Amino acid sequence: MSLAIIDARQWQNIFDLRTGVKVDVENAETLLVKGVLARHPYPGDVENASNAWVSDTALDLIEQYQPQLACLCYAHQYFVSRYTPLSETQRRGMIADVFQEVQRFLDASGYTPLIIGTGDMDRVVGEIDLSRLDGLSIASHWSARYAGLHRPSSADLAYVRGSQNIERVVSRLEWISLFPGVEHDPERIPEYLLIAREGWTFRTTGMPLRKTVMIPATSLNIPVSTPLGAPGTITAIRGLIEANLSDERIALIILEGIGGRDFALPHQTCNNHAGWFSYEPGEAQYLTIMTGTHQVFAYPAGYRYHDENDANPEYPFSGYLKTIPQHTLGRDFRDKSIAVGNRSMLTHMVFGARISIECFARNLYNQGCMGVIHD
Amino acid sequence: MRCNYCEWRCELDRERYGVCRMYYADDGVIRERFPGRWSTYAMSRVESLPFYHAYPGSRVLTIGTFGCNFSCRYCSNGYIARRDPSELTEGMYDLSTEELVRMALKLECHSIIFNVNEPTVSLPSLLDLKIQAGKAGLPLGCLTNAYTTPEATQMLADIFDFINIGLKGFTAAFHREYIGVPDVAPILRNIRALAGMRHVEITTPIIQGVNEGDIEAMASFIAGIDREIPWHVFRLLPEHEMKDSDYPSIAAIDKALSGARAELAYVYFHNFVGSQWVNSACPDCGQTVIERISLGCGGDKLSRFLCADNRCPECGHAIRMHGTLIPRFHREVAL
Repeated sequence: MSLAIIDARQWQNIFDLRTGVKVDVENAETLLVKGVLARHPYPGDVENASNAWVSDTALDLIEQYQPQLACLCYAHQYFVSRYTPLSETQRRGMIADVFQEVQRFLDASGYTPLIIGTGDMDRVVGEIDLSRLDGLSIASHWSARYAGLHRPSSADLAYVRGSQNIERVVSRLEWISLFPGVEHDPERIPEYLLIAREGWTFRTTGMPLRKTVMIPATSLNIPVSTPLGAPGTITAIRGLIEANLSDERIALIILEGIGGRDFALPHQTCNNHAGWFSYEPGEAQYLTIMTGTHQVFAYPAGYRYHDENDANPEYPFSGYLKTIPQHTLGRDFRDKSIAVGNRSMLTHMVFGARISIECFARNLYNQGCMGVIHD
Repeated sequence: MRCNYCEWRCELDRERYGVCRMYYADDGVIRERFPGRWSTYAMSRVESLPFYHAYPGSRVLTIGTFGCNFSCRYCSNGYIARRDPSELTEGMYDLSTEELVRMALKLECHSIIFNVNEPTVSLPSLLDLKIQAGKAGLPLGCLTNAYTTPEATQMLADIFDFINIGLKGFTAAFHREYIGVPDVAPILRNIRALAGMRHVEITTPIIQGVNEGDIEAMASFIAGIDREIPWHVFRLLPEHEMKDSDYPSIAAIDKALSGARAELAYVYFHNFVGSQWVNSACPDCGQTVIERISLGCGGDKLSRFLCADNRCPECGHAIRMHGTLIPRFHREVAL
């Protein structure tokens, strides 16, 4: 049984991660995680101390657990960039702070780093409102560039194909055939995938109330900085880490909302796409990094996530993620591993680390932290 | 000309828009500044709003507009409710009420619930929505602060089938300092009125050291109307002007609720992830009849509905419910 230890500020409880049922478990690992959670209350996604929380929490966990693999995700700058208007000077200052924070972690931990930027951010040029289509349009989760179109009318197709701000309208078949051999459930894939032109984003049901300021750029390549070698492509990152894990303690560090333009360390470029499809920050990109294979259809862009959200309350603390992904680096690695991040849901599900700690925040509302101990 | 929608009763003209900044007066008529303009339309679960005793398990379309007639220091939607609506026009959805209803049907929602800001600031549009929703057989619900005039209170009852009222405190002093209105009396009056006309649930955020001392008085007030009105006690999530405040102690508030639990049939304590005080027990025999899971800001979920026909399986007592389980979207998890 995977355990979720929820810390809602001075109030901790342990639950079965799958069912959400409260359980009474006390052992060395639960005590360890409870202690770390109590010592590091989460400041909030857009608070300046957010990324320092990642480093501090990870260092505390490392000191006590001594893992061979540490996966860290720093996402504060991504959340701020999306919704807070910043001057270029302010933004550069914020990015510089991220790299200082990473360096502080590395200096204190001594781990060998593999640092990835998930891609650049662009200012929003405009929004494509799909509310009036006859069919159903869905831009799931934090996706900015992709939307799914379900049961479109011929008028819908004429509209989206004629829109100057939609770069490409891709049929389900065309999308699937771009990833031969990749497992998929055709029923979950929208009939059409819509791809916005760079700088444009979609408005569909359930978009955040906050005004979007910046969105992920089209990042065909992403920066990777590591002394371990040159992965070349996003699917090779896992292998590079695995090949070195028996000799070195490695920290996989993901920096959200940072691409080649802002990456402050010497780095190589790493392929972040397959054909016309490039990864945005999110579960598909993380899963591809952690499994070493393209994972574009696990939660396909624009799928009808609400149907699953309504009907199946398994993994209730894991948001839209409905199962623990198998064959991730963390799940397959037999030695000790941890993950710490201020990107909720992904941290405990996608890295697959034995112990993970993440913020419990939704739509930037801070409700505390969650530790997960996987079986 | 005086606005008659809320108890501020603002003097309006063509360029004076009142406290909520959503109405103006023209040719002797109070008009909306942004009719048919919406801040969002989104899917949710009815338990997340929260409604625990209305159409359990159902999917709802949540909607909102802009502006508010309160100035809560802890407003969780301050970036919509507290901003001047004229600054937000770029982000408004321009959808007719027919289109909104079509959207709800397309998304297979069972009802439409107005929950982002205060519905009193958009009553004419909502009256129109009621007509369109009625044609499609969609119930309407809302969250309101109930700071309405008696006439507008009647409008709320006419428009909405189920209503969650925010009873934020119990004293005029609290309302002056934390909510920005002079008195609580109109709210208490309207809770009494609405509870006599519609299914009502009540929600109260507790700010430790500020309004927790009013818990017993509020519980007695609710019990005086109807002891089976569901009461949602929220742990305050400090936002907006109170962003740097401490999170209230869950243990302390739980302890302070012991008297209320004896007085009222359905007392819930949530708005934090993992709350264990979200299940319903039969008021007569104490049998658990509905189980839920609390995800805090992630929204609550129905886990198990154990009272078929809205009756306790143990003793047959009628469980307070507006409508019944909507099984289309509900599947129990295998334990």
